[in-house]
Amino acid sequence: MATAQRSEEIDNVTEAPTAPYDEMYAADGSVRPHFAALARRLQALGPGELDERQRTLERFFLLQGITFTVYGAESSTERIIPTDLLPRIIPAHEWARVESGLVQRLQALNLFLADIYGDRSILKDGVVPRELVLGAPSYRREMQGLYVPHQAYANVCGSDLIRQESGEFAVLEDNLRVPSGVSYMLANREASKRTFPGTFRLAGVRQIDRYPDLLLSTLRSMAEWRPNPQVVVLTPGVYNSAYYEHAYLARLMGVPLVEGRDLVVHDNMVYMRTTTGLRRIDVIYRRVDDDFIDPLTFRRDSSLGVAGLFNAYRAGTVVICNAPGTGVADDKAVYAYVPEIIRYYLGEEPILPNIETFLCREPAELSHVLANLDKLVVKAVGASGGYGMLVGPHSTAAQREEFAQALKADPDNYIAQPTIQLSTAPCLIEGEVEARHVDLRPFILSGESIRVTPGALTRVALRKGSLVVNSSQGGGSKDTWILAEAGESQP
Amino acid sequence: MMLARVADSLYWIGRYVERAEHVSRIADVMLTATLDRTETASQVARIGLCAVGEATDERIAAPFEAAKDLALDRLDGGSVISSIARARENARQVRDQITSETWERLNMLHLRLSGAQAAKAFGDGSTAFLHEVIADLHLFKGAADATMSHGEGWRFLLLGVHLERAQLIGRLLEVCFGRSGERLDHATLTAVLRMSCALEPYLRVYTADVRAASILEFLLLNAEFPRSIRFSTDQIEAHLSTLGRLGAAEQVGPDRLAGRLKARLQYADMSEIEREGSHTFLEAVLGECGAIHRGVYEAFVAYPLEMRLPA
Repeated sequence: MATAQRSEEIDNVTEAPTAPYDEMYAADGSVRPHFAALARRLQALGPGELDERQRTLERFFLLQGITFTVYGAESSTERIIPTDLLPRIIPAHEWARVESGLVQRLQALNLFLADIYGDRSILKDGVVPRELVLGAPSYRREMQGLYVPHQAYANVCGSDLIRQESGEFAVLEDNLRVPSGVSYMLANREASKRTFPGTFRLAGVRQIDRYPDLLLSTLRSMAEWRPNPQVVVLTPGVYNSAYYEHAYLARLMGVPLVEGRDLVVHDNMVYMRTTTGLRRIDVIYRRVDDDFIDPLTFRRDSSLGVAGLFNAYRAGTVVICNAPGTGVADDKAVYAYVPEIIRYYLGEEPILPNIETFLCREPAELSHVLANLDKLVVKAVGASGGYGMLVGPHSTAAQREEFAQALKADPDNYIAQPTIQLSTAPCLIEGEVEARHVDLRPFILSGESIRVTPGALTRVALRKGSLVVNSSQGGGSKDTWILAEAGESQP
Repeated sequence: MMLARVADSLYWIGRYVERAEHVSRIADVMLTATLDRTETASQVARIGLCAVGEATDERIAAPFEAAKDLALDRLDGGSVISSIARARENARQVRDQITSETWERLNMLHLRLSGAQAAKAFGDGSTAFLHEVIADLHLFKGAADATMSHGEGWRFLLLGVHLERAQLIGRLLEVCFGRSGERLDHATLTAVLRMSCALEPYLRVYTADVRAASILEFLLLNAEFPRSIRFSTDQIEAHLSTLGRLGAAEQVGPDRLAGRLKARLQYADMSEIEREGSHTFLEAVLGECGAIHRGVYEAFVAYPLEMRLPA
């Protein structure tokens, strides 16, 4: 699965000493009530039957073409995203809290984006340091003073949540740029309906299949001045690892899937080349990164975008979703300020906590980090994918010394977090049910209003003990059942 | 209204799928013919290989290897496996435009051909293998017909199928009855009918009287047989005139060419064709097919932008 550039975060987090939260079993070994029906079903099924169902599920993915391509020297092969057939179940009351927390968070982040690309009052009031925002590489000065309908900058947001040892959900990071994975959420659901039809029916699982039409109405709400706005999905093309998702969403929304080469800008209007000539476009759900959408405004060497697109956007003849420049609000250093951002704009306490983060730019926090390098994970603000990172408990004295020097030389560039733990959920591993670490990526839509789909992509670290959930490194995914009502689901 | 690139992809899916079916059938007929007398076998192999590619003495002498290459050689752009891979690659690019039922047929066939078992399966039973490929391609066309809206996209798909078919059958006829004037024996003529999937329908019209002139007439001018060139040109004309009506007024290029070609075949006369030489006639037909192909590009896909900008 294609992950947005910053979603590699979890990769290098080490195993913490305390026991992880188990999604299925309580501390005393009893099955948690919302997993009871599944547990009974698993007992009734032989391991051979589970294996058989797993193979059926994999075949379904292969047939549908839910694959990513691995390019080799001579030939390329297609693999399915590893998918686990056992659903992860979240009871209604827990989800209610997650949902309200996500809405609150995205509301605040949209207000924050509108503010920093507008009056910048949060910077003037000194709540968030000015140079932290204006100096970030993801800050786009081209967006300054631009009107964005409903102040909805991040129309599609995929936040990564983890469950801490206490069982409480916390936000690990926000993805406000081009989050992906929603097609796997939908495909996993199709698959698990086939795999556990009876258990699914009895459990009372909330529906997620309205996601495509909610996405379409969200996108349409961004161009209200047009009577029947033409929406398109912009993809980098068939070689992009998330291409399946782009085509899938376009098909389910019933809108054209376009590439940069299909689009033309003339007189600040965007058109697509059709068989019957040029046709005007109003809303572009782009799955191309900021840097690549317009070679005239951003990266000149990009062939994925459309020359002149950004000017058309500035002229207000077309809407780009998500808005360019949203990345500044999911930056590693800005992340630490999100609780403050929520308090500043909404006057509320954050419902979902952050992971504790030390900003080395603050002298007091720097000295705490320097004193505890062997216990913390240190990350460079601008880096991703595990680069520029120190994992304290697994580091040597020499590495710590090297990082200490780097921290003192350029403290602004570093943050530190405690080593975190991910919860575990049952997975089918070579015919046996075993616990593996999981995270949770729900999807939030914001246009005229903010809506959370009652479902999520649960990413799984399939290697034993691993905390790496990225598909590029042995990660997989599984369906996530959000239950409609509190209480035990009876068989 | 659909994206020009999408129309182009659908058109090429049609062409590649038709090519894969034709090449599978030629390979199958070649293999079956080698079971009979050797003289006929090498003539059938020569015709088959000429009709879809190159006929070297070496390949004619080893029909099994030649047929296997036609089916499974990845390096040969005209092989069945390459055509299916390209059709499927195009289908992936327009995955939002074709139904899941249609996609699954093509995807499954692609996975089977490119899987590790394919070469072994071909070795174990090449005729059965090729029959299954052809049957899968029929299922693909059936799924497209039964599940896709019969609108613009479907028409581009079928335009590709019929233009490719007319050119493939035209090429086969040229190899058999073109300039050489060589007399073909009964077994070879029957093999030619099999290569165009025409044996049973031919027998129903001409009985078991298998003659070169009748075959030429049947595959060129029969109005009802779906693999005759006349039938294909009727289809090409029908799809293009509908597509032209859907589009802007200035798109008269390819549908006019198609109308002319249709009329040429509709009002052709066998004795006239024989007097002029069938080679001349076939060359003209194939030339016009090529012109229609270019016309489709100019009208629908690669048109100059300045012509289409809003005033």
